[in-house]
Amino acid sequence: MRRFELAEPQTLEEACALLSDDDDAKALAGGTALLTLIKHGIFIPKTLVNLKKIGGMSGIDYDRQRGLRIGALTRIYDVESSPVVGEHYPWLAEACHVVANIRIRNMATIGGNLAHGDYQSDPPTMLVALDAGVELMRREGTRQMKLSEFLLGSYETALEPGELLSALVVPPPDNWRGTYVKFTTGSSEERPCAGIAALLRMEQGVCRDLRLVVGAVSPRPVRMHHAEEFARGKEITEAVLQTIGSEASHVVEPIDDLRGSASYKRHLVGVLVRRALAAVIH
Amino acid sequence: MKINISTTLNDQTLEASVYPNQTLLEFLRDDLSLKGSVEGCGVGVCGSCTVLVDGRPVSSCLMLASDAAGKRITTIEGLARNGDLDPVQEAFLKHQAFQCGYCTPGMIMAVKGLLLNNPHPTETQARDYLSGNLCRCGTYVEVLAAVKELAGR
Amino acid sequence: MALVGSDVTMVGGLAKVTGAVNYAPDLQFPRMLYAKALRSPYAHAKVLRIDAATAEKLPGVIAVVTRDDLDGLNPYFGPVVDDQPVVATDRVRHVGEVVALVAGESREIAEEAVGLIEVDYEKLPAVFDILEAIKTDAPVLHAQRKETTAGVHREEFNFQVGGNVCSVYHVEDGDVKQGFQEADEIIENTYTLPPVQHGHIEPHAATAYWEPSGKLVLHTATQNPSGVQEQLAQIFKLPENQVRVIVPLVGGGYGGKTHARLEPALALLARKARRPVQWVLTRDEVFLTGRRYGAVVKIKTGFKRDGRILGRQVEAFYEIGAYALNGPVNAKTGCYVSSGPYNIPNRSLTTYSVYTNLPPTGPFRGVGVSHVCWAYESEMDDIARRLNVDPVELRLKHLVRERDIFVTGEELTSVGVTDCLRRTAEAIGWKGKEEQAEPPKKKNLLRGKGLAVAIKSTTTPTTSSASVRLNADGSAVLLTSSVEIGQGLLTSMAQIVGEELGLPFERVTVSSPDTDLTPYDKSTSSSRTTFHMGQAAQQAARDIKNQLFDVAAKKLEARIEDLELRDGTVFVRGVPDKKISIAEIFRTRFGSTVGSMFGGYCFKTTGGLDPKTGKGKAAAFWFFSACGAEVEVDIETGKVRVLKTVAAVDAGHAIHPKQCGLQNEGSLLSGMGSALFEEMVYDNGQPINSNFLEYMLPSMEDHPEEFQSILVEIPHPDGPFGAKGVGEAALPPVAPAIGNAIANALGGVRIRDLPIKPDKLIAALLVEKEKR
Repeated sequence: MRRFELAEPQTLEEACALLSDDDDAKALAGGTALLTLIKHGIFIPKTLVNLKKIGGMSGIDYDRQRGLRIGALTRIYDVESSPVVGEHYPWLAEACHVVANIRIRNMATIGGNLAHGDYQSDPPTMLVALDAGVELMRREGTRQMKLSEFLLGSYETALEPGELLSALVVPPPDNWRGTYVKFTTGSSEERPCAGIAALLRMEQGVCRDLRLVVGAVSPRPVRMHHAEEFARGKEITEAVLQTIGSEASHVVEPIDDLRGSASYKRHLVGVLVRRALAAVIH
Repeated sequence: MKINISTTLNDQTLEASVYPNQTLLEFLRDDLSLKGSVEGCGVGVCGSCTVLVDGRPVSSCLMLASDAAGKRITTIEGLARNGDLDPVQEAFLKHQAFQCGYCTPGMIMAVKGLLLNNPHPTETQARDYLSGNLCRCGTYVEVLAAVKELAGR
Repeated sequence: MALVGSDVTMVGGLAKVTGAVNYAPDLQFPRMLYAKALRSPYAHAKVLRIDAATAEKLPGVIAVVTRDDLDGLNPYFGPVVDDQPVVATDRVRHVGEVVALVAGESREIAEEAVGLIEVDYEKLPAVFDILEAIKTDAPVLHAQRKETTAGVHREEFNFQVGGNVCSVYHVEDGDVKQGFQEADEIIENTYTLPPVQHGHIEPHAATAYWEPSGKLVLHTATQNPSGVQEQLAQIFKLPENQVRVIVPLVGGGYGGKTHARLEPALALLARKARRPVQWVLTRDEVFLTGRRYGAVVKIKTGFKRDGRILGRQVEAFYEIGAYALNGPVNAKTGCYVSSGPYNIPNRSLTTYSVYTNLPPTGPFRGVGVSHVCWAYESEMDDIARRLNVDPVELRLKHLVRERDIFVTGEELTSVGVTDCLRRTAEAIGWKGKEEQAEPPKKKNLLRGKGLAVAIKSTTTPTTSSASVRLNADGSAVLLTSSVEIGQGLLTSMAQIVGEELGLPFERVTVSSPDTDLTPYDKSTSSSRTTFHMGQAAQQAARDIKNQLFDVAAKKLEARIEDLELRDGTVFVRGVPDKKISIAEIFRTRFGSTVGSMFGGYCFKTTGGLDPKTGKGKAAAFWFFSACGAEVEVDIETGKVRVLKTVAAVDAGHAIHPKQCGLQNEGSLLSGMGSALFEEMVYDNGQPINSNFLEYMLPSMEDHPEEFQSILVEIPHPDGPFGAKGVGEAALPPVAPAIGNAIANALGGVRIRDLPIKPDKLIAALLVEKEKR
């Protein structure tokens, strides 16, 4: 691998300062994505700022009122296997479980995953459905932002220079039933061709609330607001499912890539959305 | 500038000096001549470089050597004790779960990681956990047979 | 038999499960340097200027080699055509071609130095598509063909002059025009296959050094040390005894490590550096170094309504990349089997090996056979559907049998294909014609079963020599240049020698290849090792047995015909107290229990084809196989789940049944990957998925839920204990079996372009829907 220096700050403030002062410095969390890019010569940073020595950056806290707070350096496997996540947000555990392989999940961090902005990823899709927010910190101070606004495009986020994602916040769950579906077109081990996050709250057979997000087919996860509107207050019949699927299919703007053509993905989204919701209901 | 680290490797404490851009895999192979962990892809997919860090399998090709500081690292060389094979190694031999052998140490470490996490996995759980370790020669059936036996204990 | 036919404990397991094997990338030598290549970013370009001066001055850089270092060498090499330069000379012909090679004190230094080498290129028009490449106005890669003088090349080809067609092969039977005229129906289709990767988890790796005396030594992960030795001797103008090739255990080959690849440039670098230099490729570089050729196969078949196939015409174009390697061999090997293992009275078969500006190819498990099998077995099922007959019955009607004359004009021996097909059909639960019935309507998950058969030759004629050395204590060593690539030859060869010498398994060792010690072997490829090297080993052991019997007969005053060799002792049949141990024989012969007894044998197969007619003897043995697959197709997503597969191969006689089964497992996985998702993708010659994140190998989850390996055993008279080879056998029929299963699930919807990815399936279903 190309030569770089390694800085190992002990505090978040120190880390932010290092990143602010040096344009050629990059933050290193789990390293699984970043080191791959460095090995392929896509990034040539002079300094890596290793965040893993900073205390208090990992851990999962849950509170009935405030929901989940996950430190950015929490490993994806620890999110997946956390008892509180399993109990209150099992669909988030599902979305984490399907990421890559067990080794990557033991190394990669949830913060790193979100900050990397890889569109062919699973956790962001479910987190957008959960209306998650991110806490960002830089020398000048902290700010909060919706994850859906934080993710801007393929490998593009709202992170400012010198800014770090310090925590992930997930509002309390709302009696949902839900699912995350990862669909691959090649090996089961591939990155997703499409990811569907669906959360449904039903009362006496009628949909009270729907959160529906389609990820991996376009540069950012797409929330199906229109379909959600349509579903609210209705009984989820076969016909309703068809309409929602069809709507999702029309709304997404998929891109061609090695996993599938845009037109195929458009078709696929309709099918997967319909099935995901049907699975949640039954 | 090299970084000094203190780590535990195969139950032995170790003081070492590593380069910032040195991966754990390079450190094991180049500095310590522990050649059992090998590189197959360099991007964390094939699993041939699998080692355990605090009992959990990782891709040593994507871990910086400096991050081994303060951790307990186990490599394939550390499984056998005083010449006695680990039960996972015994099971692999019994079920002939190898051909060219290149992916075998990584596969064994992954199985070790699985059993440390879940001593009695079902076949579905085993497949799911081990699916990130690739073999091109064709040993998946035998590996699962070995795991099935180990899970039954 | 004591050893042959049993699943003895596989040799080498302990080292493999403890990480103690020293593979080529693991080797370390004193003062060893590391090599890194500067590779062309262009698919086709003139190399105007190379300036390595800055790179050479970087501290820690010991040597750089470029075309300026080729004086006094034969700079071009290849197993069939001498078209590959040691390093690029006047032009580069594919992205990734090696322009310079650097030796540095560390990998990092070498890599940094590579970045400091300046090269000026002038881009040339390039061609990537097979059918574009054969056009007269296509950019030409090689103006002429210079056939290699390498002895490894004992076959003959029809080389073409001018243009990108490297060679053509043609063979025919009867009169195909007549056959088509008499046919009731004719179907004609084109099938395509993309390039795919071998996927050996160990990358190419080698270490080279020159002894002060001027002798070149290579430690390399290669499948043919004798071939590499010969190539290097030819390049460096050395006698072969001044080139030593040593091969450690190899981490998978499947053909990708056959023929000189890293060795020539590395040897050149090591000579300049005057120190050992090690070169281990990164995975991306493996994609630039070897692969399977893509192909376009056009197939036309004429048949009668009563089910008789009267005529078949095949034209297959194999895209062999920028340098021939064994492209002409592959095209030839695919040619004569391109109508399938069938008796068809009229056929015209033509194959072309075509240069393109894509990275080099070389041998691949299944060679050119998988390509034509994909076509002819898909057609077979389509014909059955047209005729409304059972696809198995249709095949059985035409399958070749023992002593049939094949299209090459030779008589077939040891023909297990009917057994393979029948047993596969049974194992997959084949119900007959109804497997092609209309699928149920309004169901999203459709299941189907499919079958396919294949025939392949082993490269002929070839030579394998073996030497067995018996120690005075009754233990033996087999000296062989065949390579342990995971197929288990260290076990099976020991079984053969042990069986012949009546020795317990633990008392026979098989050496690893070292051309200073081990005799000539053509290569570990073409599934030839068990048959050829096994036969050589058995005969070499027999040579020793005869020497032992000579001494024993005199000492025991018995006739040689009455002697038996068992448990390290020679016995006289029927007279239990008349015996003599090997140790005593040594004492008799040498005066004391010291010394070595040698047995040697050179096993040569004869044959070959006349390149003008395509007739002759193509194979010392043929291998036959069948594959059965059951799939579930999700017609809404296009995803295919392989539920069950069966691989049946005709092993002749399985020396180690378990190892044969393991080989079938590997063949099946590789075949399945290429059927459903493996595909190398290029953008103007630049590989865009050259890593394992983007090009995935089948995983444990991808593995079919049920897999069964069947060994049919029709002994071959010339094989050791009747054995043939199975290394490749199970691969070619996998893709068509899966394609047929999918077609049967979907009521005949046929995909003719591999891989059968979900988007292709959905597109095909849409087209079908519109048709109806």
